[in-house]
Amino acid sequence: MKEVAVIGVGSTIFGKFPERATYELGGEAVRAALQDAGVNPKDIQFAYCANLYGGMVVGQAVLREAGITGIELTNIENACAGGATAIRKGWWDIASGLYDIGIVVGVESMTTSPVAGKLIPPAKGDISGELGMNTVAKFALAQRRYMDVYGISLEQIAKVSVKNHHNGCLNPYSQYQKELTIEEIINSRAICEPITLLQCCPATDGAAAAILVSRRLAKKYTGKPIIIAASTLKSGDYSYRWKDITFSDMTYKCAKEAYEMAGLGPEEIDVCELHDAFAVNELQHYVELGFCQRGEEVRLIEEGMTEIGGKLPVNPSGGLLSKGHPISATGVAQVAELVWQLRGQAGKRQVANAKVGLAHVLGGEVADLESGAVAVHILKK
Amino acid sequence: MIAKIPFREGLFEEVSGRWVLVGCRCEACGKTFFPKKEVCLNCFSRDLKRINLSRQGKLYSFTIVHMPSGHFEPPYAIGWIELPEGIRIFSQLRHWQEQPLKIGMDMELTIEKLWNEGEQEVIGYTFGPSGVVKAV
Repeated sequence: MKEVAVIGVGSTIFGKFPERATYELGGEAVRAALQDAGVNPKDIQFAYCANLYGGMVVGQAVLREAGITGIELTNIENACAGGATAIRKGWWDIASGLYDIGIVVGVESMTTSPVAGKLIPPAKGDISGELGMNTVAKFALAQRRYMDVYGISLEQIAKVSVKNHHNGCLNPYSQYQKELTIEEIINSRAICEPITLLQCCPATDGAAAAILVSRRLAKKYTGKPIIIAASTLKSGDYSYRWKDITFSDMTYKCAKEAYEMAGLGPEEIDVCELHDAFAVNELQHYVELGFCQRGEEVRLIEEGMTEIGGKLPVNPSGGLLSKGHPISATGVAQVAELVWQLRGQAGKRQVANAKVGLAHVLGGEVADLESGAVAVHILKK
Repeated sequence: MIAKIPFREGLFEEVSGRWVLVGCRCEACGKTFFPKKEVCLNCFSRDLKRINLSRQGKLYSFTIVHMPSGHFEPPYAIGWIELPEGIRIFSQLRHWQEQPLKIGMDMELTIEKLWNEGEQEVIGYTFGPSGVVKAV
């Protein structure tokens, strides 16, 4: 397989922009990525566009805004893992030797989606959805059991949200630029107990894009390409095989494969962007991604080890909690953040000497499965 | 009389005057499933036997939902019930205002109205704390 590099990334500011069409958001991110890479739109050979709520052939409308037409273009939906799925597919098209250069874009307008202002339900006809399941409830059920069985407190969980909102204040792309206190988080209104509003990621509009090339071609554009050392994607297993809802088996397996593929271990990760759709998720993902053993995850947050100045900074961008979560854009936005971090271009939120970064997304509620999809990417200088 | 229709066919039945959830057990590997399947998801055998599931189980986890979602007005409770057959059932929970929910507590099945659809009552399964459900 050929080595694949990221030579350009771009993103819109994340926030609530109901006046902007999906294609406008996507077009802005694509143009920014092309400019960052110094690539002519005419040189792009293929594209993937991840989107959930925008309707048909969103990718064509997005790329029309950037002068990219007449190429192999595939639209992708994979819930919260849509953007990462697009990266994975773009990676494979180059790794396999099929193409040399392509663009991946993820875009979502949540404020104009049919679920604006609502809890996101599973797809129509899903049996759990009929009975009142939604994406917040799913993780509230896990959080209740996590607190009860493992003795984790709400204060400890809230610390994740405090950290990520602090990081968001340092990131001009972040939807929220506001420090939060543990008390504010715990006392915000209940959504699905014990999850309160400020333990949840917000509804967000935004887009991100990345230009992928073969390593050979990367030399034409930059002396410092960022290499995709691993790209793994998995669908969820049957939930009857899922022993403990507080531990994501699919995240564990997907990360394990990614480490094997990269020939790197969790101890070699310098910076991580992970799926903190809810504050509790981050603590659990520390364990599943191999950053610590079960029972040590609270220490990571309490001792500041995952803060920007810590041993393993997690979600320096602000994460989904503060930066925001435009569903299908998130996986691409995480890769954009890692590229900036590894290049040393992350401004006030820069992680010192970051050489290896890991991105993780997980999502898609569906009855009888753990979850829809999970993806892990490892990037290195 | 108001017509009652199940929210989905084939999930529950009245057997000797009592409602039960209908699952299946694989005769080849012994795995139990709900809802019942056409093929065993564990060993792919087609030798599946219809079984009535236990009406009692233990509360594995729960949440009180405070925003509208689908057919239900907030606040409403949902959770996972662990049955002796070794499976977890996702369900609406009832009577949680009368007896606070707690992980591990005994829960019992009821078939009752979930929501109205025009002139019809849509019925489905719910679970509630055992003592309270028996009393109603």
